[in-house]
This record gives sequence, C-alpha cells and structure tokens, in this order.
Amino acid sequence: MKIIAAFEKTKELSYTSHLDVQRTLQRTFRRADLPLAFSKGFNPHPKLSFATALATGYTSAGEWIEVELDREITPEDFTERVNGALPNGMRFHSAFIADENFGTLSKMLIAARYIVTLYPDAAVTAEALRAALDGLLSSDEVIVEKKTKSGIRPANIRPEILEAEAISASDGTAVVAVAGTLNAAGGLRAETFARALFERLGTSGRFTAHRTALCFAGSDRLPRLR
Amino acid sequence: MDDRTLDMLLSRVEKPARYIGSEWNTEQKEVCDFRFALCFPDVYEIGMSHLGSRILYHVLNDMDGVACERCYAPWTDMEQALREMNVPLFTLETKSPLKAFDIVGFSLLYEMCYTNVLTMLELSGIPFLAEERDESYPLIVAGGPCTCNPEPIAEVFDAVLLGDGEELEPELVECVRRAKREGISKAALLERLAAIEGVYVPSFYRPVYENGRYVRTERLNENAPEHPQKRVLRDLDRAKYIGRQLVPHMQIVHDRVAVEVMRGCTRGCRFCQAGYIYRPVRERTVDTLLEQTRDLVRCTGYDEVSLLSLSTGDYSGLHELLPRIIDDMAEQKVSVSLPSLRIDSLLKDDLEKMQTVRKGGLTFAPEAGTQRMRDVINKNVTEEDLLRAVTDAFTAGWCGVKLYFMIGLPTETDEDIAGIAELARKVSNAFYRLPKDKRGSGFRVTVSVSTFVPKPWTAFQWCAQDRQEEIVRKQQLLKTALKGVRGAELHCHPSVLSVLEAVFSRGDRRLTNVLIDAYRRGCRFDSWAEHFKPAAWAEAFGANGLSMDEYAHRERSIDEPLPWETVDALVKPAYLKREWARAQEARTTKDCRQGCNGCFGEHCEDYCRV
Repeated sequence: MKIIAAFEKTKELSYTSHLDVQRTLQRTFRRADLPLAFSKGFNPHPKLSFATALATGYTSAGEWIEVELDREITPEDFTERVNGALPNGMRFHSAFIADENFGTLSKMLIAARYIVTLYPDAAVTAEALRAALDGLLSSDEVIVEKKTKSGIRPANIRPEILEAEAISASDGTAVVAVAGTLNAAGGLRAETFARALFERLGTSGRFTAHRTALCFAGSDRLPRLR
Repeated sequence: MDDRTLDMLLSRVEKPARYIGSEWNTEQKEVCDFRFALCFPDVYEIGMSHLGSRILYHVLNDMDGVACERCYAPWTDMEQALREMNVPLFTLETKSPLKAFDIVGFSLLYEMCYTNVLTMLELSGIPFLAEERDESYPLIVAGGPCTCNPEPIAEVFDAVLLGDGEELEPELVECVRRAKREGISKAALLERLAAIEGVYVPSFYRPVYENGRYVRTERLNENAPEHPQKRVLRDLDRAKYIGRQLVPHMQIVHDRVAVEVMRGCTRGCRFCQAGYIYRPVRERTVDTLLEQTRDLVRCTGYDEVSLLSLSTGDYSGLHELLPRIIDDMAEQKVSVSLPSLRIDSLLKDDLEKMQTVRKGGLTFAPEAGTQRMRDVINKNVTEEDLLRAVTDAFTAGWCGVKLYFMIGLPTETDEDIAGIAELARKVSNAFYRLPKDKRGSGFRVTVSVSTFVPKPWTAFQWCAQDRQEEIVRKQQLLKTALKGVRGAELHCHPSVLSVLEAVFSRGDRRLTNVLIDAYRRGCRFDSWAEHFKPAAWAEAFGANGLSMDEYAHRERSIDEPLPWETVDALVKPAYLKREWARAQEARTTKDCRQGCNGCFGEHCEDYCRV
C-alpha cells in the first residue's frame, strides 16, 4: 500500500539539505518501525519519493511524500508513529492512503506558494513595495541572472510568477506572498524572485523563504492552486 | 542567541547543518547546575564520528544536574561570519557561548588540530594560556590520545586528562562542582585535581632546557604526583557506552551505528601508538555486544553497523559474534562491517556471510613490502597470509582491494620499497589466476602509501624521520616499480604535513609559542590540504628560534630524556628500549595473548588481566 503525507520543516531544520531530509526520513521510518517496502537488489532502499525538493534554508508548511508499505496501517497510526520518531523541527500531517491508480506526486505538482521576507539594506515603505510588485507583474519580461548547467545566463522569470501580493513593510522587513509555477521540469525559485524584487526596489539584502503550500492538479486529496 | 542572529550566521555559510544541533537523540537538559562544553577541534563531520566523544557525551549527560553540550571547530566561512558579526562561538544544543560553561573540554585526536583549539578559544574570548585565566573563566581541559605527549600544547590547559575517560570525567566534574560550591580559588582547585588518578596539571611542572635541548622536568608542587599516570578503565563490559547514539542530519565520516567490541590491541606493532597507549586489551562479551547493537539500531534507525576496535579480527568472540549479529541484522536489512581486519584472522565463511547483506570495500594493511621490514615493525603477517586472504575474497566475489603501506620506516632500503610493488603484483596475479567465471570484473588493487611518523610511547620514539626529499624519492621509486602491475593504482599522502606532525608528536613546551605564532599567521585546519600553510609554519619556527629538523629528523640517543616522560602512559621505557633493539635486529616479538612481554613492568599485576 502507498501512504501519502505532508511534513512541515521549521526552525534550524530548514538548514538541512534535501539529501539530509531523505536520510532523516529513511532513518525515522525505521525508528518508527513502519512496515517499509524495500527495493530489490544488493542495496535495498525503502520506496520513498518526494513531490519535489525544498531548497536548503527554506522553511515549509507542507512537503509531500509518498511511501510504499508492505502491510496496512491507518493514516493516523502512520502520523503518530512517525512524529514520535522525528527530530524537532519536522512534523507530519494530512496523511492518507492512496488507491492503486493514484498518480505520482512529482507528476501532479503544478505550483508552489511562498512567503518571502526581505531584509533590505535600505528601508522600504509599504507604497514602494506595492509599486515594485505592480511593476513586476505588469511587465512582460522579468530578466534575472539564473544559474544553469552552462553557466550564469539571463532568464525571463515573468511566466513563472502566477500571483504576488505585498503583506507588510515594517521593522526593516518587506514581506510578500507569491505563487509560482513548479513541476518536475522546474519553476519559480523564491531566490530569483527575491533578487528580482530587490532590483525593482533599488536595494539589496538578505531574504528568507517559507513555502506555505505545494499545489497539485488531478486529485481532491491534495492542495490545489485555487 | 536570538533567532535572527543565528539565521544570519547560518545563511552565510556553505554547510549550515554543521551548526544547527537538534539531531535525533540530542540531550537537552531542562535543569542543570553544571555545564560541560565538549569541544572537538575539527569540523562537525569528523568530530561527530569520534567514538570517544560520543561516549563522554553520554557519560556526562547521564550525571544528575550536569548538562554536556557539543561544539566543533567552525569552518573558515563560519569563523569569518562570527568575527564580522562579533558573535562568540556557540554550542549546538543551546547555542550558548563557551564562556558560559563550567568546564570546556577538548578532545585531542590529532596534532594537526591544535591551531583549531586556538580558534575556538579566541572566538570565545578566552585567553590561550592557562596562566592568563583566573576564576572567571571556565576550566579548560583536554583529553584524548594526543595527551600521551601533552607538552606542545600543555600550557593552554588548566588540566590534562590521561587515558580512559569513562570514570575520570565524572570525577573531574564532581571535583570542580564541589569546588564551585565551596568557592575555592583556582590554585586550590588545581591541587585537588592533581590528586585524581589520570589528571596532569601542567602548571605544576616546569621543563628545563640546556644547550637547546630538553633535559628534565621540575615539579613545582610537591602535592602533585611526580609522573601523573594514565587512567585505566578496568571493566569495559560493564562500563557505560554511548547510550542513545546521536543521528546527524548531514552525512558524517562514520555515519553508522558504532559498536566498540574491545579496547586495546595485543599485537605490538612497533610503529603503532594506539597499540601502545590503549593497553591493556579489554573486551566486551558477545551478549553485551548483541544487546547494544539491537538497542542502537532501534534507537537510531541506521541501516549499517560497524564493529570497532583497533583490530576487530582479534576479538576472541568474533566467530561466535559474527554469524549471530549478521543474522540478527539481516532481518532488518542492516549491514555489518568490520573496519579493521587482520589478514591472518580472516575466514572465508565470514566473508561469505558478510556478502549476503552488502559488499563493502576490502582493506588490508601489510604496512611494509618485505618480510624483513615487516619483522622490523613487528607486523606479524606473512605474504602467504595476505595472498590467501585476497584469494578468498576474490573467490567470494570481491574485485577490489586496498592495501595500506608506510614508507620511511626505520632501516628501510630501496629493496623494501620495491617489495611493496612486488606484493601488489602478487595480489594482482592472485586475481587474474582465477578462472574467468569465478572472478568479478573491473579489478583494482589500490596501493595507499603514507609517510611514517615516529610517535612517543612506541618502540620507534627515538627514530629520525626520513627527510622530505628522501620520501619523495621513495614515492617516485614505487611509482616506477608499479608500472605494469594490472589494476594497480597508487595513492601517496603528501609528505610535508608528516614533518609537522612528527614535530608536534615528539615536541616539548617550547612549541606552544610556535603554535600561537603560526595561528596568528593564519594557520588553521592544517590537516586540510587547502588550508595548510607550510611557509607560515616555517616562519613561526624561525621567529621562535626553533628548528623543525631538530624535532623531526634527528635520531635521539637511547638515554636522552624525553619530554613526554613527565606523564606515565604505563608502558615502560625499558620495554620500549628492548623492542627498539629487537627491531634493529629484525626480530619479532610475540602477540601478548601468547604470553606476557612485560610491557607494564611492575604495574603488570595492577592493570593487565588479559
């Protein structure tokens, strides 16, 4: 059977990498004594896959995974056992049992929502933040230097930005809610969005990103974009 | 530390997971009246892999009211971030500065980490030298194998702990805790500490130099023992172990369940400091090991178990333990590995058993290329042993083997170097002699060669180390000799660092100034090739009027006073002298399981019950 569930990643744990999280979950599932299904071969591995990876340093309210089990257990049992074996800063919720023809998470993924908090070197007013966002959204092109396999290249990220809204600008921060495309081929990165916004604001600085949701198509059991 | 400061620090470094803590099984004490900062002067990945620190972390946290937290050397990016933001170095558990602790204890595993000790102290606003610190600072102590010659860094520490820490550390803590309650002076506390078996208080001793050489040590406090003696844990089987092993987020060097099957080694290899200083041999019982393994696997979720010791193949219960532990673990898809196999103790059955779970790398350490050379170093392993073992392994499906050697050994000639290549050739032939359907493909014999470093408390403690030019010449010779050996691959460790290691291994207290000087010139993480600054070290030696040559490349006379003999590692100088004499005649000494060789002298009855 296949269980699908989401976990939150908060505090210092946000500084662990995707690879770290994979290892942590494998060990957590063992500690939780889940009836894991293993891959065949010399190096048996539990059958665990992620909807997508989360960049190191970002927090998240819901990262989705699917895991194959050899025996039936209830979603409640799954959540309770796993949460009892997870380090502080990670926690599972929203678990359900997927039926036979349920799709693959990574293929159903279409978008992600973030809260991006900027810490600008120069103070930013609420008006300036709104103006910068309006500017971004009304442009046909938002060109940002993007790291690719063939080096750093300018890229237009405008098509990847679905929604963006100013939340607040005070106390040395500027907070924005943004939704961007995301699927197996790629999508909007909070980091490139933050850089584009800093540029519009005419300043620079550091930022933090919190993924509030992954959005899927093709199932009522998973969060949707709208 | 507030969240935003931590965030800013973490967002600036390449591997933030090194500093976050909150690993599974982390101890976070709510109530405590005594705080111990367990410091490791290397990066997290290395420090977290160290078994001794894991044991002490558990032993200390197991004490009522004592909170032990960890701190590792910050990588250079974090050091820079801390300096720029003016934030003190912090522990992983509660992000507290080291100054907030009662004791700051360093594990000294390797001489080339000494500069990192200084980094950690400086980033904590703690003066380097013990004499510069009053009662307002934590007590700064050190333990670990390097303390068998604490002298090059002794003046940094208020107290140095010699030998096994399981019982010693709690005694140290209780003593300091009582002193704190009573409000006594640091001088009075140090006197109490010096009375504990296994504690060396450097400020109670003063080395004397004549004509540029160490001649003797003067004892400045008559209540301190003349030669502080290393502490021996007598019953390993009933001793506390690592409790609930920490499970790191990021990958560390030894990322698996660690089970210590025994401590010490009976072989008596003459170059091997660990073999001398971890005596006597003490074993855990098979039942204890099985129980510890089950518990550790259950509480960590690891899928790999490693059976640790200096020579696991010599563990007397191995052939009972292996099948039981492998069967036990196979059910849970947990693999078992033995990191240190002796060639002569390998059994085909065990190899086949191990393969049923996972096929790891196979490593052997003949250490030298000819039988004569192996007799000199007392590595009692023959060519036949090695060839039989590798043939067994190749038949069982392995098709790669790694061979460890040293060059620069005492009495070594070019013939011994050629012997290394010859041995690799025979191993290669052993593989290709097997019928094609009985062997794997993609054969590799990796010849890994390090430079011999003479160490204190070994039979070779008087030896001159080969000069760099000579080592490079021998490496070249080997490279040529290995041409035409099918599947051979040569890895040579750089020799420059070995010289500095030789200096600090057998150094005296005058090196403390050199160390601080080199640190000021930017030396950090010296064992990391990208950070090692040989020129800065050379300048530091020059500025202090000392020569690396004198420490590393000079043969000491057999009667010369040795600076490390201020402490007593239990192994008697008379025994070491006998061993050195036998080595020069290429005469071997038997494994002490076959009869006592008298290494502890008059202490034999008290400490050694093999």
